[in-house]
Amino acid sequence: MKTPVTTATALALMSTGALAQGVTVDNCGETLSFDETPERIVIHDINMTEMAFALGLQDRMVGVTGITGWYKTNETFDAMRGDIPELAERYPTVENLVAVDPDMFFAGWYYGMQPGGEVTPDTLEPFGIQTLVLSESCVHLHDDRPEASMDLLFGDILRLGQIMDVEDRATELVSGWETQLAELEALTAEVEPPRVFLLDGPADAPFTAGRYAIVDAMIEAAGGASVTSDMETSWGRSSWEAVAASNPEFLVLLDYAEGQSAEDTFAYLQEHLVMQFIDAVVNERWVGLAYEELTPGPANIDAIETMARAMHPDLF
Amino acid sequence: MILGVAVLAILILMSIVSGSTTIPLAEVQGAFAIALGFTEGEPTPTSRIITDLRLPRALFSAIIGAGLGIVGVLLQTTTRNDLADPFLFGLSSGAAAGAVFVITVTGDVLGIWTLPLAAFSGGMIASGIVLTLVRALRNSAPEKLILAGLAVSFLFAALTNFLIFSGDSRAAHSVVFWMLGGLGLARWNNIWLVLLGLGLVLLFALRGHRKLDALLTGDVTASSLGVPVGQLRARMFFISALTTAAFVSVAGVIGFIGLMVPHLARGIAGPLHIRLVPAAALCGAMLLTASDILARVLLAPQELPVGIVTTSLGAVFVFALLIGGNRMRR
Repeated sequence: MKTPVTTATALALMSTGALAQGVTVDNCGETLSFDETPERIVIHDINMTEMAFALGLQDRMVGVTGITGWYKTNETFDAMRGDIPELAERYPTVENLVAVDPDMFFAGWYYGMQPGGEVTPDTLEPFGIQTLVLSESCVHLHDDRPEASMDLLFGDILRLGQIMDVEDRATELVSGWETQLAELEALTAEVEPPRVFLLDGPADAPFTAGRYAIVDAMIEAAGGASVTSDMETSWGRSSWEAVAASNPEFLVLLDYAEGQSAEDTFAYLQEHLVMQFIDAVVNERWVGLAYEELTPGPANIDAIETMARAMHPDLF
Repeated sequence: MILGVAVLAILILMSIVSGSTTIPLAEVQGAFAIALGFTEGEPTPTSRIITDLRLPRALFSAIIGAGLGIVGVLLQTTTRNDLADPFLFGLSSGAAAGAVFVITVTGDVLGIWTLPLAAFSGGMIASGIVLTLVRALRNSAPEKLILAGLAVSFLFAALTNFLIFSGDSRAAHSVVFWMLGGLGLARWNNIWLVLLGLGLVLLFALRGHRKLDALLTGDVTASSLGVPVGQLRARMFFISALTTAAFVSVAGVIGFIGLMVPHLARGIAGPLHIRLVPAAALCGAMLLTASDILARVLLAPQELPVGIVTTSLGAVFVFALLIGGNRMRR
């Protein structure tokens, strides 16, 4: 009599066990599993922090890193952040992270972590910290990545939603964004896409985005064609010769605060020996966008619309 | 000597107390109490910072500093050149090239040990080339060896830069760690590697101390005293390379310790190796431990690469050496 009951109980336990078994998500081609929903998370960089804000994860964020060391934040961001402490102004050390005892760190390669550096998933693992790696950054360690699409953003929002048990919110966000982008695409579908060049400020050799950076997908979504989309990298250096030879018709300029604004960069191009002759500079066709708008994050969607409006003013 | 050990002990304690996160002294004591079993209790995050991050790190800085100090003595004695340094022999650039090769080309195919292994192999390949040159130049002036080392250094530096430019330009950031050194990877599970390096070089330096003393009198005199000069030189080079590569593989290139320390130690202990080697070990340990404390507190919570601290100290030291040497000659 006893045996069947125990078996049934065991089965019941097993099935609840299976339900509570947590989640497994893809992490740069490897798997990342959580038995329990993380209670304490640390997030690096402004773009990833905004993903967490979009999902309303503030109550579980025990720290952010790498924000004030580089950017001026806006009031909305500061209000959303509230009193979440910044553990390191730039890249954190293992010690900075361990001190707040997190379950998970959300960062990327060259977004808070360096290959072979002090903070990597391998060096955090012994301290019970799992690392969710920003999908766009996987390409720095894995060559076999698909070229950029807006899934770099959608996928990361969904993964974060799954892990933090706010999947419904994540799905809702993503489908809203997809609708917004579909409307844009319908508008720009018939137009010949202009040649677009993205530039991260004045430099000896232009720092831009290749085929694995989300900007590449954003430019396409806005109805443009990036002239550097054949570069086998995410963010990397091209040469002025190559860029000038492709004669871009429209420029996307990174707009940092203080002394490195998009206006400054455009003024630099107007003086540049070769670049002053390209169509985009002659016709003064450009748009400035902030760092968090051009790296994977919720701000991408409105940035695409800003880009589309600047690129195709007669369509709106 | 006793004073030195005491100062080193104090520095190690200071190194444990300071870091990129501020931890009150009471919690440091608490962490030790937990680790040693005096207090019941689960390890807390702060206690783990103390026992799993800072304690191994303090020991690493002492071990690596000591090892580099001894390597510097060996190289300066065998080349009879005041400016011989473990990193003038291509080791640093070789190790950096190995690390960059992994970062830009292969990825960490062998897990967490890939980078240390690649850095070690790179360093050994570079010093292998120097060693071959040393053998070929066995009977020529020691200055030629320094030139050979420099040439190999430049070759591997060029290779590193080629890899950075042809591959992922962002790898340049990662390379900084290998070029400037850092003790952030110090853990209990890799401390055996640096201990082995120190043990090896200490053993050979102490066992061969009489022969090394003889070398100070010049190759000809040393030979007439029955010291196999060429063989000794090659062997000491090899041991130095092995030890330095072991250090570089976990801490990157920490410059100038090997250059400065022998001079400091000679001032304290005189030129005879039986006293010079322990003195150099102690000075090196103190210097690197102190440098690492500075590296962590100067810009806290950011950490400076420790190589920036040691090389700036080293540069000032060379100025002093030049001015001092000039006076003596007058």
